[in-house]
Amino acid sequence: MEQYIKNLPSVFRIIKSLKETIITNIVFMGQIPAATFHEKDRSQAFLKRLATFGVDECSTDDYNNPIGIIRGTSNRKPPIFLVAHMDTVFDSDIDHNYTVKKDTILGAGILDNSVSIGLLLSLPAILNALELRFESDIVLAGVIQSIGRGNLRGIRHLLKTWITPIRGAVCIEGVELGRLDYYSSGMVRGEIDCRIPITGIKSDFSRPNAILMLNEAINQILKLRLPQKPKVNIVFGKISGGFKHGKDAYDASLGFEIQSDSDQMVKLLFRDIKDIVDGLNHENDIDMSIKTISNTSASRLKFNHPLVKSAAAIIKKLDLEPISQHSESELSIFLSRKIPAITLGVTRGRNYHSRNSEMMIKPMFKGIAQIIGVLMAIDNGVCDE
Amino acid sequence: MSKNWLTQNTFHYSAFQDIERLVNIKEKRDLTISLCLPTLNEEKTIGKEILIMRSELMQRAPLIDEIVVVDSGSSDRTLEIARNYGAKTYESINIFPDLESYMGKGENLWKALYITNGDIIVYLDADIKNIHHRFAYGLIGPLLMDRRIKFTKAFYDRPISTGKTMRPTGGGRVTELVIRPLFSLFFPELAQIIQPLSGEYAGFRDLFQQISFPIGYGVETSMILDIYDKWGLDVIAQVDLEKRIHRNQSTKALGKMAFVILKTFCNRLEQLDMVDIKRNLYNEMIQYNMVKDSYQPDICKIQAMERPPIIEIPAYRERFSDADSGKQEK
Repeated sequence: MEQYIKNLPSVFRIIKSLKETIITNIVFMGQIPAATFHEKDRSQAFLKRLATFGVDECSTDDYNNPIGIIRGTSNRKPPIFLVAHMDTVFDSDIDHNYTVKKDTILGAGILDNSVSIGLLLSLPAILNALELRFESDIVLAGVIQSIGRGNLRGIRHLLKTWITPIRGAVCIEGVELGRLDYYSSGMVRGEIDCRIPITGIKSDFSRPNAILMLNEAINQILKLRLPQKPKVNIVFGKISGGFKHGKDAYDASLGFEIQSDSDQMVKLLFRDIKDIVDGLNHENDIDMSIKTISNTSASRLKFNHPLVKSAAAIIKKLDLEPISQHSESELSIFLSRKIPAITLGVTRGRNYHSRNSEMMIKPMFKGIAQIIGVLMAIDNGVCDE
Repeated sequence: MSKNWLTQNTFHYSAFQDIERLVNIKEKRDLTISLCLPTLNEEKTIGKEILIMRSELMQRAPLIDEIVVVDSGSSDRTLEIARNYGAKTYESINIFPDLESYMGKGENLWKALYITNGDIIVYLDADIKNIHHRFAYGLIGPLLMDRRIKFTKAFYDRPISTGKTMRPTGGGRVTELVIRPLFSLFFPELAQIIQPLSGEYAGFRDLFQQISFPIGYGVETSMILDIYDKWGLDVIAQVDLEKRIHRNQSTKALGKMAFVILKTFCNRLEQLDMVDIKRNLYNEMIQYNMVKDSYQPDICKIQAMERPPIIEIPAYRERFSDADSGKQEK
């Protein structure tokens, strides 16, 4: 491990020598549309291409998560997982063809999370070029149905059905380089829908307005008293509704998220919000409903966990400052199953969720070096206590 | 009309996806392969095209020996990006500096014969949004695996990118409205070529050096007619590359393209004594624009210049000393 850090300049050189192949993998994967629940084409292409890089096993689990395994030298050490989600927020009718510039790559979904899928594909070639072997098997898992309504189904299923212990895991996300997430909040992501029945004889003047009803719901939620401890936060993240400027809105929808380091607090707040919705429903002639889109449990590693400490040390060695925040991604599922795991960012970029999302190429090489360093740390036993 | 050509000489790229096998044949036949990309302001697509070809067909499997970009004077960062991703880059104007220089795709393709080294030359347009290495190995495959074949031509579906979204069908209008009717009238055998105007083709240097190159859009038409005339249809194959996404062109731009192609075709018909045109054809394409309340002519002068077979250029013969006899294959 120390030798690896000492040799970082030559590691960079070797990783950079594979620049064309790494970018090709990112482009080939990213150009295949993979909206949540529609990842089949990308998953198949991922497996087909992974097989050409000489991994020992390529297959899907029974939930269609594509998986490759690089066999380790010991059959006594549990496997290490390297995970990236396959799905993106973009539908297939969006132009997914990427543009490769001198220093950047542009295209829909490049940062979330095509760059990471490309790296999963490239890892066998990179490890081969670096002449690195691990004791543990390295499981390269592209997980489907992760974001939004996917509710992390792919990773949940993969871990539920994985029969052997797992030594540790690294989840990779496109940005930001230096990201080191090791805890996840309890979270419920919900949606409040409001529909105004259009039957009856009421004129527009007396008919309730769906947007105003949602506004009333928001006002009542904002009046809820939130404790200082445990920490809790309600985020209003999405809103839509209405038909045209001069017409009262018949329908409206609000997307929100409750985050807390206490699962109990999340449940209590969700119940409070449901009471608000029920009250508005009762007092007005409307059809307002609340539903859960996804949820995760609060779980964490301690900051002084050897995995976190090692990862932070590697990031610092790369002249980066580790930045941590709660993450409700695949990380939360590993941690809730008591599997030591962290999330790392690969590179820098901008326009994260736009069609013209742009990733920087050069920082990616540091991102790859850190991922390999952390895999080596896990293989050396930082998760084995 | 050769009835078997369509079935015998039409391939699908997947028949050649065993790239290791292609490399073995290439080495056994002691051949080298050059990939040439003619460019003019292609900064959006050139980087991706070069790096994918380098990764898949140079680094992971040594099928291609060099990638060469010949540029017509781009004002954007095409050449800088191409160099950054490892292509050899040339400005067309600097090749054969003693000759008068022209601007056009055909000019770049012709000059590429001088600065490339390969026995096989693969020409790909540089504006392919969904570039994949099948575009190259699909065209190279028949040349390596079937000794009858000396020239391969791509065909594909042609979705059009309209910016933010994709239109699933379209394209090929000049092919269906101009070239195919002409082939049907004068060379019915050639109507079997699905997309004679596709910008992706490959062939042996020995062929390319013996045919003339129109400097502009007419190059694809003349190439097929000349190869057909000199060596017959059986040396030509076509390869299905499945899907190619390209920029949509306006009807006016296609009109200019059709003008050049028609002129090239007429010239060839005359050379082959198939028609006798009693007077010189004009060099101006006349289109009209509505400006305020009146139609204003938009006249575009289009030279029908052709480069002679490059084998006739002394500097070329000097560089490829065995060019007259053609390379003796092992």
